[in-house]
Amino acid sequence: MILSLAWKNIWRSKRRSFVVMSAVAIGVWSIIFMVSFYNSMMGAISRNSLQHDYSHIQIHHEGYLSDPGLDFQVKNPSKLLEFPSQISDIKAASGRLIVNGMVASPKTNLGIQVYAIDPADEAAVTDLPSFLIAGDYFTNIKRNPILLSQKLAEKLKVKVRSKVVITVQDLEANIRAGAFRVSGIFHSKSPRINNGVVYLRDQDLSKLINSTDTSFNEFAFLLKDNESLIQTKKKMEMKTKNLVRTYREIAPEFDMIEEGSAISKQVITVIVMLALLFGIINTMLMAVLERTKEIGMLRAIGMFKRKIFLMIVLETFMISLVSAPVGLMAGFLTNVYFEKNGGMDLSQYAGALEQYGGDAIFYPEIAQSTYFFLMLVVIMTALMGAIYPAIKAVNLKPLEAIRKV
Amino acid sequence: MKVIELKSLSKIYNPDTIPVRAINDVSLSVEEGEFTAIVGPSGCGKTTLLNMIGGLDARSEGSVEVGGVSIQDMSESQLTTFRMQHIGFVFQAYNLIPVLTAKENIEFIMVLQNMDAKTMQERSDDLLDRMGIKDQRDRRPSELSGGQQQRVAVARALASRPKFVLADEPTANLDSGSTEALLDIMAKLNEEENITFIFSTHDQRVIDRAKRVITLEDGVIVSDEHR
Repeated sequence: MILSLAWKNIWRSKRRSFVVMSAVAIGVWSIIFMVSFYNSMMGAISRNSLQHDYSHIQIHHEGYLSDPGLDFQVKNPSKLLEFPSQISDIKAASGRLIVNGMVASPKTNLGIQVYAIDPADEAAVTDLPSFLIAGDYFTNIKRNPILLSQKLAEKLKVKVRSKVVITVQDLEANIRAGAFRVSGIFHSKSPRINNGVVYLRDQDLSKLINSTDTSFNEFAFLLKDNESLIQTKKKMEMKTKNLVRTYREIAPEFDMIEEGSAISKQVITVIVMLALLFGIINTMLMAVLERTKEIGMLRAIGMFKRKIFLMIVLETFMISLVSAPVGLMAGFLTNVYFEKNGGMDLSQYAGALEQYGGDAIFYPEIAQSTYFFLMLVVIMTALMGAIYPAIKAVNLKPLEAIRKV
Repeated sequence: MKVIELKSLSKIYNPDTIPVRAINDVSLSVEEGEFTAIVGPSGCGKTTLLNMIGGLDARSEGSVEVGGVSIQDMSESQLTTFRMQHIGFVFQAYNLIPVLTAKENIEFIMVLQNMDAKTMQERSDDLLDRMGIKDQRDRRPSELSGGQQQRVAVARALASRPKFVLADEPTANLDSGSTEALLDIMAKLNEEENITFIFSTHDQRVIDRAKRVITLEDGVIVSDEHR
């Protein structure tokens, strides 16, 4: 009957109960929405950076990190490029000869990083052709084609088939310059690539720097999935003496993004739960104060303090038990809606989002365990919120409470 | 058999500042089956005396024995159990639980006593029948008249099979018809089942029906009339 009484007590003031239940439901919904939104944004940033820039694993010469340039090229590159056929977890590999240089157009010149690549290999690893917004992927220009990002093309005021001059240092530190024609203009999902990378064919750069053999100073490997990252790294280390690093080792910002994301989600949850906590305390305190006389009567006729306490806690528990699933369901349905209707379009903020490597379309991402976790958190919050009002209730003196008008 | 025995009982408010003796050296005993009215003007100490007998208020001096058990040294928890098992309370303002039906209000105290469902059902049906409100069993207090609510309150007080019933101004909020009906019920219970009733009242209709009338003035018994 205590259970039944607690349930009936909730509905004494329907409006008040509805308000607190709505607050809980909206709070839960907002957490799900924000966490999904945040996961989607951070996921996109990580994914874009991983798939279109760093790749899962990179191999460099041991000395490359202290002196990035042409001096530390990896010997016998074909051996590394054969890894996809030797290690099943590797999907594709691409060799890059990266060198700092200048790109000049009739209007201006800019400092850039030249990525000399094998077009087919690079396409398999970073999906570069899919980002072309003008021209094509090295095929429309026969001699010295170059790919520029949209951002660089705008700064240089060039378009497809325009001529640009690339200036780099060769192995003897001589300045070498060569004319290239814009084959394609791309817009990558990686802000770093957009801001300062141009792509040449490896043989064209070799000619420019007077190198007789085609070699690379960076090898990027795309894996079939992220799960096998460490295992694959170990397998690769057994096959080469060069420096093998995962994307987490190359770019610590991945860890920062994940940790920052986790902290942000926790902060959001704590803020919402604190708001709910005080809302629940306020509501239950009002409920107790309104029933002072009745609680006094219950104590007088022989209801123990612990049962009064239990009754108040049960009321709060039931409020959370009714409202939290409503919020969870609303959050779930909101996510389903966006999933089925092409995601949440934030194109109007695309510029700002791209600065961080994010996508303009958000597809909500949330782990199923988050729903269970949130249910638990809401119940815990509600129970915490019940403690103070329940203590107030049990501390009422029966006689004083009965006399209360 | 003595149900209640008070010895030199006093209640002093503000003992450290300006002491007020609400009850002053009262000694009395109540036998089983009595139908007693404690009367007197407002502020004479009727309710305070009832509250001390019921273990709701602590005595300042003297002793209170209920059924031969001294209650003044009991802990709060022991007093709660004692009230639940041995005392039935009827309040002036009925004090029913508004979200429960008449039947549930009666059964509530039996739930607190962990009575089994069958006994509880039989007892509440019997009490509803005797109070003449069987057809109101599923109504909530707000759907009942004042007289009907007070009958539910009496039934609730009797549900736990107490040693006695303490009724504080039970007819103060009732019209004369409801008062007479309620008194008829309580008098019948007293006569047929030997249930002890102690009222605090200044309602002449209750005083007229009482078998014993104790008059208080300024916290002192000025008369104790057995009829």
